[in-house]
Amino acid sequence: MKCWQYLFYLIRFRPGLFFLNTLIHTLLSLAELVPGLVIRETLNRLSGVSSHQFGVWWLIAAIAGVTLARVCLMLSNTITNSRFRFAGESLLRKNLLAQIFRHPGAKPLSGTPGEAISRLMGDIREAMINLIWINELIGLTIFAGFGFWIMARIDLRITLLIVIPLVIVIAIANLASNRVILYSRARRHTTGVVTAAIAEIFSAVQAIKVAAAQKEVAAHFDRLNEARRKAMVKDRLFNEIENSVFQNATNLGTGIILLLAGGAIRSGSFSVGDFSLFVFYLSRLTDLTAMFGIFIAYYKQTTVSLERLLALIHNAKPEIMVEYGPIYSRDPLPEVPQVVKQESDRLVRLEVKGLTYRFPDSNRGIFDINLTLDKGSFTVITGRIGSGKTTLLRVLLGLLPKENGVILWNGVPVADPGSFFVPPRSAYTPQTPHLFSESLRDNILMGINAAEAELEAAIKAAVLEDDVAAMKTGLDTLVGPRGVRLSGGQVQRSAAARMFVRRPELLVFDDLSSALDVDTEKILWDRLFEQQEATCLVVSHRRPALRRADQIIVLKDGKIEAVGALDELLETCEEMRRLWRMSDWEKKEIEQDR
Amino acid sequence: MPTQPVKIPVQKYYKLLATYLRPHRRQVLLLAGCIFGSIGSQLANPQIMRFFLDTAIKGGSLKVLLWAAFAFIGAAVIQGVFSIAATYLGENLGWTATNALRKDLLAHCLDLDLSFHKLHTPGEMIERIGEDVNALANFFSQFTIRVLGNVLIIVGVLVLLYLENVWVGLAITLFVMITLATILYLRGRSLPSQRAARQASAELSGYIEERLSGTEDIKANGAAPYVMRGFFKFQRDRNDKQLYANTRAARIRMAAVGLHYTGIILALIFGVILVRNEQSSIGTVYLFILYTDLIFRPVMQITRQMEDFQHADAGIQRIQELFHLHTVIPDGNGPPLPPGPLKLQLERVGFSYDGDDEKVLNDISFDLQAGETLGLLGRTGSGKTTITRLLTRLYDYHSGSIRIGGIELKDTKMADLRQRVGLVTQDVQLFHASVRDNVTFFNNAIPDRRIEAVFEELGLGRWLKSLPNGLNTILTGGKGLSAGEAQLLALSRVFLRDPGLVIMDEASSRLDPASEKLLETAMNRLLSGRTGIIVAHRLSTILKVDKILILENGAVLEYGYREQLLRDPRSVFNRLLKMGLEEVMV
Repeated sequence: MKCWQYLFYLIRFRPGLFFLNTLIHTLLSLAELVPGLVIRETLNRLSGVSSHQFGVWWLIAAIAGVTLARVCLMLSNTITNSRFRFAGESLLRKNLLAQIFRHPGAKPLSGTPGEAISRLMGDIREAMINLIWINELIGLTIFAGFGFWIMARIDLRITLLIVIPLVIVIAIANLASNRVILYSRARRHTTGVVTAAIAEIFSAVQAIKVAAAQKEVAAHFDRLNEARRKAMVKDRLFNEIENSVFQNATNLGTGIILLLAGGAIRSGSFSVGDFSLFVFYLSRLTDLTAMFGIFIAYYKQTTVSLERLLALIHNAKPEIMVEYGPIYSRDPLPEVPQVVKQESDRLVRLEVKGLTYRFPDSNRGIFDINLTLDKGSFTVITGRIGSGKTTLLRVLLGLLPKENGVILWNGVPVADPGSFFVPPRSAYTPQTPHLFSESLRDNILMGINAAEAELEAAIKAAVLEDDVAAMKTGLDTLVGPRGVRLSGGQVQRSAAARMFVRRPELLVFDDLSSALDVDTEKILWDRLFEQQEATCLVVSHRRPALRRADQIIVLKDGKIEAVGALDELLETCEEMRRLWRMSDWEKKEIEQDR
Repeated sequence: MPTQPVKIPVQKYYKLLATYLRPHRRQVLLLAGCIFGSIGSQLANPQIMRFFLDTAIKGGSLKVLLWAAFAFIGAAVIQGVFSIAATYLGENLGWTATNALRKDLLAHCLDLDLSFHKLHTPGEMIERIGEDVNALANFFSQFTIRVLGNVLIIVGVLVLLYLENVWVGLAITLFVMITLATILYLRGRSLPSQRAARQASAELSGYIEERLSGTEDIKANGAAPYVMRGFFKFQRDRNDKQLYANTRAARIRMAAVGLHYTGIILALIFGVILVRNEQSSIGTVYLFILYTDLIFRPVMQITRQMEDFQHADAGIQRIQELFHLHTVIPDGNGPPLPPGPLKLQLERVGFSYDGDDEKVLNDISFDLQAGETLGLLGRTGSGKTTITRLLTRLYDYHSGSIRIGGIELKDTKMADLRQRVGLVTQDVQLFHASVRDNVTFFNNAIPDRRIEAVFEELGLGRWLKSLPNGLNTILTGGKGLSAGEAQLLALSRVFLRDPGLVIMDEASSRLDPASEKLLETAMNRLLSGRTGIIVAHRLSTILKVDKILILENGAVLEYGYREQLLRDPRSVFNRLLKMGLEEVMV
């Protein structure tokens, strides 16, 4: 899609507001024609050349009336302008955000979340400002049309001649617009980098403090800032040069009027009033040409912004960005749809055949993975660091796009794992779970209407009940940004409760016990094994899990090394023996100590 | 931090910026020169115009008229050159000064206590250090060029008008004063709405930022509709507040336009009266109109900049509020820590987090000889992490005493302490920067050879060789890096600093057995010849420690030499070990 097509779609999203705004700008421009005419009449009357008989005071009263009307129009302009922009901003932001959640979740967005924010806030805001700007241009064009007509009727020759510098200016603006785009891109890019750095630095604040690296980090930040300064100054300077060229076009035009009008005024064929009208209108005409130049620049800037926005949703169809839909600017917020488990959601057997994923720019990944999960079974994926355990879960759940292979749910191929592997079919607790600055209850429920008993059961299953009881405000405790007010283990168990409360057919979790102490971990496994109906797919190297597993999948370098029950694998698989020994060594050491 | 709508006079901006402008005095002077030059030529042009018109009406010579026309064009070109130079200088100064401010503010915020950072999301910090200071940078360049320059134009025009006719001068002066008073009043009225809009915008971006870091959790648990609902709520709030703020700001511009034409009407009225009384020429009437117009463009520009001004105003208040916050953990004044492994003594240490009556730590006592290691055990929430935070002085203990290397912890110099105490946390935060910068924390003084040696020692050597650009490879927020590799990177950060006390908070979690083994080896190497505290949930991790401390609900449940505890069949430690063993026997 071309830039103008997006703009067209955005205008059509709220056409009423847009065209009302156009109308207001038109009226504003027409109102602006009046003072020039009145001043001309007044000066002409004063120098005794006017043929009109009505009084000078009436003329002055006319300016007052028109000004009053203008002021009122300006308020409606602001309201329609803001409403239109916010509607478009909301639509773009909503579509992009929804799409980000739709596409494979673990795949890196372009850049960091901080960088994405700078696009979702800044670029969207500017794109809409640039769009509504068209109306300003329309208003000015109307002014220019009438103004030109009025001037041409007074003196066609001078009118035509002063247009020449304006034409030259437009040509220059056109030539320069490539630069404009280049500089503005650099400005945005460097600004994005600075924004991202702030987010990153404050996410790592504890590590920085403990390393006493505040100074070094600040110096690093300063280097990024300096790069931005250079880009910024270049961009602004270039704009000012353009501006100045436009400004000088007015002055040059005025100079031409002076050169040409001297004789005419002397001879009386061109009045002082005419002269004032020419100068008055000329400055607005130059504004117009300047605006044409700026419009081209804005248009290109908008192209840059749209490119940056599209990069956020890389593989998706670009039309998605401007797809119409509710933005809830007034209507009640949408209810979160509650999923109900259908008979077809019940898991009988999940099969994976030939699943392959390769990380871009590396040889790592998972290759030709085959596995079968039967209802109620407990499957453990184990392997050394970097063997692809987490990647396997991610690809299966559609959080990374599979390169090859099929996933069959009860024998039926799953077309889009990303949208399929969600509750009520499955739920997931990642290795490093994220909580959000809301109450603990909202973090666990995330919109589902679970009965209090279900919530309690999930909390119990996650061995979180004592922690909740110890909190002064219980489940209403605010967990702080990213859950920082909870300990690592509490975050992990809250995420587990979030998974349990969804009562999915398939529980998928990645190293659930990693931040737990021995007691808690033991209770957690016990409670999990009590849940008979759920099917589990877990990454773990913990002995209780390995021992209880119906099947263990041993991964090595992204490939399945062996599959089977523990005893069987301990006999046949060297890698399994190795991993087992590793988790066994603590026992031996203790025995030796004794 | 209560934020009251206090009006901040220009003086305050000046105070803030002066510090940062002082090093660039010459550029400031040059900027002033350019602004004066530009104003001079702007004031000259209407005079040339009047001369021209009066000469033409009187039928003066064409040659003179031509010269006047050329003078007019010349003055215009000169003005253009000056204004370009002023823009360059203004922007450059503005960004140089605010970059320095931004850097200081960042460093200042990094120095603030963790309790501050727990209340403020990185998204919020983007608003404060990013957006607010940006608004200030814009404000500076615009203020100097547009506002300050424009004030000078207004003054210049008024002086010239007085010279023409005292009454006209008086009328226009009064008019300018009324205009400015009106606009300042409206500005004050619109400030709170601007602030509310900025706040709502910060909340929206904070909401999105936080959710974008957890897309995986949201998506795979089917919570996207819920997150979208929250997004709509924040977005609506922001839109409503911004619309209100915009209409408030529009009142300023409306008043400006109304007053502009009032000014022209005023000039016309005076012109009519003066010409009818034959007190002035048509050229002079036109001069009045031009000057009123000229005076008004600056006023318009000033009001247009008012919106930026208001952004900067709200921003500067928040910046100053930030600067007024100080750490409650004062730097110590004591002697430097002794070299080598550090002795550690805790005596009846008590602590609770801000505004919480509940004690997180109660009467904690233990000691470690130099070179000894302590295994710290306990359920989550029992206070283990808190102890590590006290020892790195991320928080200060409220009662009791901690002595490190024989020196009271509160007396140690912060920089010294953090150089000598290394902390490895379970969360490894990586930067979008080179591998080198990630392990050295941007300290350029550490030679590559040392980094490579440390990597080799930790078993990261192969990983390093697999990187396309070695140490210069840019890491993107830890993507493409396994948890184990990230953990090893965190260890190498501490390795490089060669501390006398190493604290590891659950450092061995989340790893598969092979890497855990690798890490164990690395840890042992790091711990040899150093005092160490290991917070661990894995029994394996604490098998080599000298002492064991088991915490429960912020109090010491059991403490002693590991071997003694092992021999005591009734010790909690033994029970824990048995559970671990039983677990294996299941």
